[in-house]
Amino acid sequence: MKKNLLRIILTVIFIAAAIMYLLPTYQDYQIGKQLAGLTGQDSLDFVTKNADKIKKSRDGRIKLGLDLKGGMYVVLDVDVVKLLQDLTKKKDDATLNQILDDLRNVPETSDIPLMEILKQKLKEKGLNLKSFYGEVRDSEADVEAKLNKEVDNAIDRAVEIVRNRIDQYGVAEPQIQKIGGKRIIVELPGINNPGEVRKLLQGTALLQFQLLKDPESAVKVMQSINSILVGKQITDSTGTKSNKLDSLKSKDLVTSKDSTKKELAGKNDIKKDTTKTKKDIAKKETNKKDSTKTNKKDSTKKTDTSKLAGDTSNLKDTSQANLSEEEFKLKFPFFYLVRLNEQSGTADGYVREQDKEKVDLILKREDVKSIIPSDVMFAWSQRSFETGGEKIFTLYCLKKDAELTGKVIEDARSNIDPQSNTPIVSMSMSSEGSADWARITGANINKRCAIVLDNVVYSAPVIRSKISGGNSQIEGMGSVQEAKLLEIVLKAGALPAPLKIAEERSIGPSLGEDSIKKGLTSSLVALLLVALFMIVYYRTGGSIADLALIINVLFVVGIMASFKATLTLPGIAGLVLTLGMAVDTNVLIFERIREEMGSGKPFRTSVDIGYKKAFSAIIDAHVTSIITGIILYQFGTGPIQGFALTLLFGLAANLFTAIVITHFIFDMLIEKGKHVSIG
Amino acid sequence: MRLFKHTDIDFLGKRKKFYAVSIVFIIVGLVVLFLKGIPLGIDFQGGTEMQVRFNAPIEVSELRGAMDKAGFAGMEIKSMGSASDYLLRTPLQGEGQTVADKIQTGIKENIAGKDFQVMRTDKVGPKIGKELRTNAIYAIVFSLLGILIYLALRFQFVYAVGAVVGLFHDVLITISAVAIFDAIFPQLQLEFNQQMLAAFLTLIGFSVNDTVIIFDRIRENIKLFKNEDIEQVMNKSVNTTLSRTIITSGTVFLTVLVLFIFGGEVLRAFAFTFAVGVITGTYSSVFVSSSIVVDWKHRIIDKNKGRVSLSKN
Repeated sequence: MKKNLLRIILTVIFIAAAIMYLLPTYQDYQIGKQLAGLTGQDSLDFVTKNADKIKKSRDGRIKLGLDLKGGMYVVLDVDVVKLLQDLTKKKDDATLNQILDDLRNVPETSDIPLMEILKQKLKEKGLNLKSFYGEVRDSEADVEAKLNKEVDNAIDRAVEIVRNRIDQYGVAEPQIQKIGGKRIIVELPGINNPGEVRKLLQGTALLQFQLLKDPESAVKVMQSINSILVGKQITDSTGTKSNKLDSLKSKDLVTSKDSTKKELAGKNDIKKDTTKTKKDIAKKETNKKDSTKTNKKDSTKKTDTSKLAGDTSNLKDTSQANLSEEEFKLKFPFFYLVRLNEQSGTADGYVREQDKEKVDLILKREDVKSIIPSDVMFAWSQRSFETGGEKIFTLYCLKKDAELTGKVIEDARSNIDPQSNTPIVSMSMSSEGSADWARITGANINKRCAIVLDNVVYSAPVIRSKISGGNSQIEGMGSVQEAKLLEIVLKAGALPAPLKIAEERSIGPSLGEDSIKKGLTSSLVALLLVALFMIVYYRTGGSIADLALIINVLFVVGIMASFKATLTLPGIAGLVLTLGMAVDTNVLIFERIREEMGSGKPFRTSVDIGYKKAFSAIIDAHVTSIITGIILYQFGTGPIQGFALTLLFGLAANLFTAIVITHFIFDMLIEKGKHVSIG
Repeated sequence: MRLFKHTDIDFLGKRKKFYAVSIVFIIVGLVVLFLKGIPLGIDFQGGTEMQVRFNAPIEVSELRGAMDKAGFAGMEIKSMGSASDYLLRTPLQGEGQTVADKIQTGIKENIAGKDFQVMRTDKVGPKIGKELRTNAIYAIVFSLLGILIYLALRFQFVYAVGAVVGLFHDVLITISAVAIFDAIFPQLQLEFNQQMLAAFLTLIGFSVNDTVIIFDRIRENIKLFKNEDIEQVMNKSVNTTLSRTIITSGTVFLTVLVLFIFGGEVLRAFAFTFAVGVITGTYSSVFVSSSIVVDWKHRIIDKNKGRVSLSKN
């Protein structure tokens, strides 16, 4: 009985866990059904109201593979020849270009690395890598190592660029994976536009240095957007306004700031983040100098805010007390979504992750677009920070015209500053760029300059001093990873990451629907037939086996949900086959029991001996299948791995159900004195 | 209900005849393979493939004409079971404006009045194709190796060899069957792609499962009937497990048959391959794997005259 108790507990725990993991999938299905019944405004309201629930169930549900859902699967390879073309100092050298053209024609299936072929070809002509890719003091081996490293770096750049773009393109649940250090696999569920995706993945990345709008005018732009949202039309967004309106607006702003503080309870976090974003571009400054600079900045900030708050500061407290969250939302819809922080002295807007899309929609509205001055643009931060368990993104208001593009960057390197022991990124510019950079930094000291890749802000440091000579240093990164990312981004601006599409698969949504329908129905039909046969052939024993089958399915799907695995069509096939194995295990046991009974043993003894004797065969059979499953997972890709995964999960679940659950049900029934027929 | 009761069939006595049957099958298959080549999908050789559905039935010849005009002379065009579903395939896979785009414009320009939608496009570069091919071979070889080692540890080396030879037999026969059926029924779209690889590994798994269960019984019976000849012990073991063998293989075959008929075209090739695998897997457990063990043991016994079993179990 003690043994049975342990079995019961194990079974109950496993079943409960499986159900728990499957709950989000069920909820997601329910939500989908509810949503399908709603239209227009109703569905929008539903989504807003249940945002948390929807997100939670979506995160936890079983994901469907591209073959079931439709979408695109793209494998990207670094175009080494293109990279070699970009990297050389002598772009116009006829001999080199001839050799690179020849390299293009080397069949892709060749086993010799392109670099070796290049070296060979250069040697034939009495040349070497150094003359095209190296500096005077480099050795040939150094140059080769450097080039190989560039190839590696290219893939990191590409991953960042691709991720950035796909995020902007707005694909739900994209998957971007770096495989084997030289390849990127991109999976875009639900996307069926190969042409556009190709452009998206292969286009050259654009890195720009853009100054931030000064906080005062940035806030003004946001105020006018807010006014449009509440329905107040402003004829001139920057010019004169009626006093009444003006004071109201100042009041709005103050309120919004205060409530930001209230809303984002962790004031420190924001502060921390602001200091984080205040990355210093400077050529090694002394701490003292730095601090004076900061002070100076703080004072400007003060004047800024006081100016903004204006003479309505008296109203501040009352208005704040009077406005509830709901009223605030009603009156200042834009600032409800985009929170400003008075303390920071910036016009950085903080937006919760789930509001990002709404803000994007607002910014895309025609009436809103028409009042945003033509020299202004909004851009999101790449990074988010967390406050109170919520992800917060920053919305920056930038000057539209770029001061400089990333093409002037010659190199970027992340490092640890030996003096302050904090991560820094140093970047060097070409002589041409350096001159511009000196002019720009000189004219904009204490202003912020954003580093923008494909319209996403990676960093917005403050310019501390005029930088002549082209060597700049960016400080204030929170971590080494952050510095590394900035290095990658700066390099992406310097060098495009040449990519070619090595594999591309797109599955139309209707085919996906077709296959899921057929795959599921046929699996169900097969399962029912087998279950029916088991009952007919093995009577009560068969019913117990069928119950085990159902629990088995529950386990496999539950394990898949807990591992966040993707269900593919081969995955369904794998599931059906494990069920085949499960049936086999039960058949094996039942036949054994029948044999023992045939030799005249009582039922109870026969059951025990049957299970015992079948055990070795079951283990050996499962282990060999597990071996194949693991190897399949190791060498397969995409859908095949899905197959291997369900197979492995299924085999594990099967060992448990067949050996523990069915045996224990038999024991229980026998103990209760029931006759258990196995046909 | 019982389908088999105490059978006593001399399976292994007939093994020489079945060796002949297996060899004939394999030779026929190899000849077909040699004449036709292994039908490789684009997964393993690179190329572009597009599945289109027209809103009205269309003749293959019309489609072929359109493709010829679009610069894809001699393109492979297969009907997918209905007169409005087609699969277009070419070994080409260009950069930039891709082959898939060209095919689409080719249809649009040359076939008037028929709308179509692209159900699926696949483009595989030759490098990836080669890698997938190598990985497929690795997958098969390593799983056979893994099985060989595991069985050698759990049974004896000769049993492991018997099982692996049986698996080779199954793989060869199934490849042959795929080649033959592909020649006769091209609409089944039997060709070697990644799904087919999954089917082969599954059939290896199934076949070895079947073999292991018979071997397990032999291992047990050898201890029980120490004085009997290995051939008799094996026959006994095959007979006592026959009921389980037939029921399991039968139910799995039934499952796969349902997948084959109702599973849609994506599962069809998989189901076909595995169905063949279930049959040869069941057959080879007795007539290849077990038979080899018997012959091997007899040989050792002949050599050592009189000393009976070498079983370590």
